[in-house]
Amino acid sequence: MKTAPSTSAARLDKTARRARASAAIGFAVVVRLAWRERRGGLSGCYVFIACLALGVMVITAVGALSDALTAGLARQGEMILGGDVTVSRTHMRANETERAWLDARGRVSETATLRTMARTLDGNEQALVELKGVDDAYPLVGEVRLQDDARLDDVLRTDAAAFPGAAVDPILLERLGVKIGDSFRLGDIEVRAAAAILSEPDSLSDRLTFGPRIFVSMETLQKTGLVKPGSLIGWRYAIKVGNEGPAASAGASASLDSFARAMKQDMAEAGFTIHDKRDPRPRVRRTLERLQQFLTLIGLTALLIGGVGVANAVQTFVDRRRKVIATMKSLGAPQRIVFQVFLVEIAIVALIGIAIGVALGLVVPLTLHSLYADVLPFETQLSITPWSVAAAALYGLLVALLFALWPLGQAELVPPAVLFRDAVVERRGWPRPHLVALLALVAAVLVSFVVLTSDSRLIAIYFVGGLALVFALFWALGGAVTWLARRVPRPARPELAVALANLGAPGGLTRSVVLSLGAGLSLLVAVALADASLVREISSRLPENSPNYFLLDIPKEEYPKVVEIVKGTAPAASMVRAPMLRGRLVSLAGRPVETIKAPPEAEWVLRGDRGLTYSDEVPEGSTVTKGTWWGKDYAGEPLVSFEEELANQLGVGIGDMVSVNVLGRNISARIANLREVNWESLAINFVMVFSPNTLAGAPHNVLATVTLPKSATLAEEADVARAVGRAYPTVTAIRVKDAINAFGAVFGKMMAAVRVAGSVTLVAGALVLAGALATAQRRRILEAVILKAIGATRRRILTAHILEYLLIAVATAGFAVAFGALSAWVALENVMDVPFTFSWTAVALALGLASGLVVLFGGLGTLHVLRARPVPYLRSD
Amino acid sequence: MAAQTKQIKGAGISAHASTAPIIDVANVGLTLTSRAGAVEILRDVTLSVTPGQSVAIVGPSGSGKTSLLMVMAGLERATSGRVDIVGQDFTRLSEDQLAEARGRDIGIVFQSFHLVPTMTAVENVALPLEFAGRHDAMSLAHELLAEVGLAERAQHFPAELSGGEQQRVALARALSGSPRLILADEPTGNLDGKTGGQVIELLFGMHRRHGATLVLITHDNALASKCKRIVRMADGRIVADELQDAPSRTAAQ
Repeated sequence: MKTAPSTSAARLDKTARRARASAAIGFAVVVRLAWRERRGGLSGCYVFIACLALGVMVITAVGALSDALTAGLARQGEMILGGDVTVSRTHMRANETERAWLDARGRVSETATLRTMARTLDGNEQALVELKGVDDAYPLVGEVRLQDDARLDDVLRTDAAAFPGAAVDPILLERLGVKIGDSFRLGDIEVRAAAAILSEPDSLSDRLTFGPRIFVSMETLQKTGLVKPGSLIGWRYAIKVGNEGPAASAGASASLDSFARAMKQDMAEAGFTIHDKRDPRPRVRRTLERLQQFLTLIGLTALLIGGVGVANAVQTFVDRRRKVIATMKSLGAPQRIVFQVFLVEIAIVALIGIAIGVALGLVVPLTLHSLYADVLPFETQLSITPWSVAAAALYGLLVALLFALWPLGQAELVPPAVLFRDAVVERRGWPRPHLVALLALVAAVLVSFVVLTSDSRLIAIYFVGGLALVFALFWALGGAVTWLARRVPRPARPELAVALANLGAPGGLTRSVVLSLGAGLSLLVAVALADASLVREISSRLPENSPNYFLLDIPKEEYPKVVEIVKGTAPAASMVRAPMLRGRLVSLAGRPVETIKAPPEAEWVLRGDRGLTYSDEVPEGSTVTKGTWWGKDYAGEPLVSFEEELANQLGVGIGDMVSVNVLGRNISARIANLREVNWESLAINFVMVFSPNTLAGAPHNVLATVTLPKSATLAEEADVARAVGRAYPTVTAIRVKDAINAFGAVFGKMMAAVRVAGSVTLVAGALVLAGALATAQRRRILEAVILKAIGATRRRILTAHILEYLLIAVATAGFAVAFGALSAWVALENVMDVPFTFSWTAVALALGLASGLVVLFGGLGTLHVLRARPVPYLRSD
Repeated sequence: MAAQTKQIKGAGISAHASTAPIIDVANVGLTLTSRAGAVEILRDVTLSVTPGQSVAIVGPSGSGKTSLLMVMAGLERATSGRVDIVGQDFTRLSEDQLAEARGRDIGIVFQSFHLVPTMTAVENVALPLEFAGRHDAMSLAHELLAEVGLAERAQHFPAELSGGEQQRVALARALSGSPRLILADEPTGNLDGKTGGQVIELLFGMHRRHGATLVLITHDNALASKCKRIVRMADGRIVADELQDAPSRTAAQ
C-alpha cells in the first residue's frame, strides 16, 4: 500500500491524498481494531502486567511513604521544634543582651542538653545519659508525658527537704538498677528519680542520642557542676513568635523570615543556628529525600529488569499474532496501522499494570502506618502528592515503551507471505529508522527524568550508566553463552547434549534468564560484599589499635590528675589528649557557608557544630600532604590545617581563610596545610586543627583516649571508668566497644534494609524468569514428547533440563559475582576508603539464589512437561 | 468383520508360520474425556501383524488411525484390551519402560517430522543411539544421513532444511536404532508429490533392507497399494483388512 514506484506526479499526488485520508481516519480505527484484538482477554499478558506493576509499586510506595513523612514533618514542625523558631549554640548560654533580644520577640523557653554519666550512690554502676535541663516555660508546645500522669513541673521542683527531682527514661532505671523514688548521682550532686518518661515532644530536634534521657530543672543542672565554660552543652531557645491568635499565624511565614533577618543583623557574631517550623529538621528532611531517591533508583532497577519480561511478553504476543498481522496487511493495512493497533493494545495492558502498581504502592504506606505509627517520633501524615503518583506512572510507561517498541517495530515488518508459507523463517531485522529514533528518544527522556529529578545528579548519572553497563554486560553474556553452547563439541552424554543444544538454541531462554537474573544478582552480591568488608572493617580490624575509652569534658588543668588516676588503676594504660571545643563554620574562603553548594558527602561539615582542636604537632593518625606544619611555639598569623579530601570537595586550598564561630566569637585562620586522616584508626582526629595561638585563649575542656593493653580483662577495663568517675563525676567516659556495637547495630539494620530493597530486583528477575519459562513451555513439552518417542526416559529428560538450568545459573552467578565484586571494590576502595575483602558467602549466596530460582521455576515447568500427554502435541491437525 | 480378521490372521501365519506376531492387539478400546463428555476413539480393535510385513492403515479423518498407531507406539494408553508389541505387554509397562522399548525396537515417523529444533540433522539422528548408549552414535548417524542422501546437510538445523529433507532426517532417525517395527503417521502428508515419492522410496527401501515391520497411515491409495496389507478404519473400528498378492512397486506419485 505504501509503494508508489512511479515518478508520475499524478500518482504521487494520489498516494499523498490517500496517506492523508488514512491518517485522518487513523486513530479511531486503530483504537477500534485494538479493542477488538484485545477481546481475547489478558491471557499471556500476566507476566507483562506483573513486571510493570512490581516496579511501579515500589516507586509509588517510596514516593507515598516519603510524602507521608515529609508532610508529617512539615505539619508538626512546631511540635518537633517546641516552638515557631529555635536558636541554638554550643558551649555558651545566651547572655543577658541576647536573652533580652529573644524575650522581646515572643515567649521563650531555654533548654540545655549534654552527655554525661549517671552513677549509683556507691559508684559501682554508671551509665552514659543524655541530660536535658529545662526552664519553667518548657515545653512551649506539646507536653512531656510521664508515668502515672505526673506533671513535669511538679517532678522537677527543687524542694528544700528532698533531693532535686529528675524525670528519667525507664531504660536508665534498668541500667543502674534503681527504682522510681531512689536517688542516683549526677555530676557533683544526688538527684531523685521522681518519674518515668513516656514521651518527649521535641526529642527529634536534639542531636543523635546515645544514652537514655534525664530531665532536670535548670537550677538542678547548675548545681550538678556540669555547666562550666568549655563544657559541651547545647543551649537551645525555643520561641513562640509575637502574639498568639489567628492574626499572627496569617503573617507567620513573613514574621519567621523577619525574625531570621533581624537575628543575622543584630547578632551577626553570636554564632546561633536558627531553625523554624517550616523546615524543623533540614538534616532529617534531606536524609529522607536522599533515601527516597536511592529507593526510587532501586525501584527503577526492578522496573528495568521487569522490562526484559515486557520485551519477552511483547515478542511472544507478536509471534502469536503473525497470521493476524499478515491478514491485516493482505487486506490493505499499512505498516503504520499495524504498528499503531499493537501499540495501543500494548499501551492498554501497560496501563493496567501501572494502575495495579500504583494501587498496591499506595497501600504500602497505609499498612506501614498502621504497623509502625507508634515507633516514629512524630505523627506521619497520610497525604500523597499527585507528583509521586505521576512520577511512578511515568516511569512505568517509559520503561514499557522502551522495551515494547523493538518487538513492535518488528511486528509491522511481518510479510503477508506468512499466510501462504507456513514455516517461513525470516531473519529478524532492525525496525524502521524512525522507530529506532523513537526508541532512542524514549531512552533519553527516561534518563533525563531520572537525572533531573535526582538531588545528586552525578550519582544518578553514575547509577544509570552502571545499570546500562550491567544490562549490556549480561546481554552480551547471554549471547556468549548461546554462542559457546553451539561451539563446544557435542558431549557423548545425551542429557548434556540436549541441555547444551537448548542453551544454544536461537530464541531460547538463555538470554532472558541471564539478563533478568544477572542484574539483580550483581546488585545483591555488591551489597553483600560491601557489607562484609564494612563489617570486617568495623568489628575485626578496629580493636587492634583502637582505644578502650574516650574521656569527654576533662577540665584542662585537671588532666594530669586524671592521667594519675588512670595509671594508678591500670599502669600499662596509654593516654592521648586533645583540646576539644565545638564551633560552627561561618565562612570558607570569604564565602558564607549558607551560599556554598557542597557535594552531599561533604555537606555535613557546613551544618551544625564541629569539633575543633589545636595542636603544635601533627596529630597521630594524620599525615601532611600539602603545605607545611607550624613549628612549636608558633606565634604568627592564626593558621589551620584542613582535612584534604573535604578541602577538595569544598573547593578550598592552602592560603584560603576559614572562619569559625566558637563561644560566640568569630575566629579566622588561614589554611596552612592539608592533612590525610586515617579516620578508621579511631585516634582523636578533627577536620580542622588550629595553631595553638588561635584557640588556646578560649576556655575549653580536654578530650582524651585511654588505651589498655590487649591483655586487659573486662573487669580491669570497667575499673578505669569507675575510678575516673569517682574522682571526676563530671567527666564522661564512653566505652569504644559500646559505641562501635551501637554503630554496628544501626549499620546492620541499614544494610538489612538495603538488602531487602535490593531483593526487589531479584523478585523482578524471578518474574521475568517465570514468564520466559512459561513462554517456552509449549516448545519444551513438544521437545520432551519427541525425546520420549525416540526412547528417552523421564529421568533423562529431567536430568537434561536440570543440567541446562544449572549451567545457566552458574554462568549467570559467576558473572554476577565478578561484576558485583568489581562494583563493591570500586565503591569501597575509591569512594569509602575501606579495604575490600572478598567473601565466599557472597559467592555462595549468588550461586544458591541463582540455581535455586532457576531450578525451582524450571523444575516446576519440567514437572508439567513430563506429565503432558504426548499425542495432542504429535498430531498434525 | 470377525471373519475378515480371522482370514488375515491366517494369511499372516502362512507367510511367517514359525514367528510370533510383532503386533498383537486385541479388543482395544480408547476413550478420552473431553469437555463435551467421554469420546470413544477406538472401539474393540483387534489387529495382529507378523514380523517383516508392511501394513497400510487407511480411513477418513477421525476414524482413529493415528490413535491406534499411538497406542501401538506406547505413546497413548489403551483404555481396555490387550496391547502386545515387540513381544512386550505394553499395558503393563511403566512410562519409562515404554520409552526404553521404543528406543530399542520401534522407529516412529511423523507427518510433521518433529525433529528436535535445537539440534542439527546429524545430532537428531544420533540422539536415539546416544540414548541407547552407543559410543559410535555420531559416526553411525553420519552414515545414516548419507544413506538418505543428506551427507552435506548434516550440520544444518531443522529450520534450515526443506520439508522433504526434514522428513528424510526423521526417517534416518527412526531407523538409526535398527528397529524391528517402523510406525509412520502419514509420512508424506506434508510433502509435495515428488518429494513424498523420494521419502516413500527410502522408507520402503529401508523396510526391505533391514527387514523391519512397517505400519503406515496414509490417505494416498497409491501409497497404500505398495503395502502387503491394507487395513481400513472407520469410526474407531477396523472395517476391512485386505491382503494384497502383488503390492505395487512403483512410487506413489
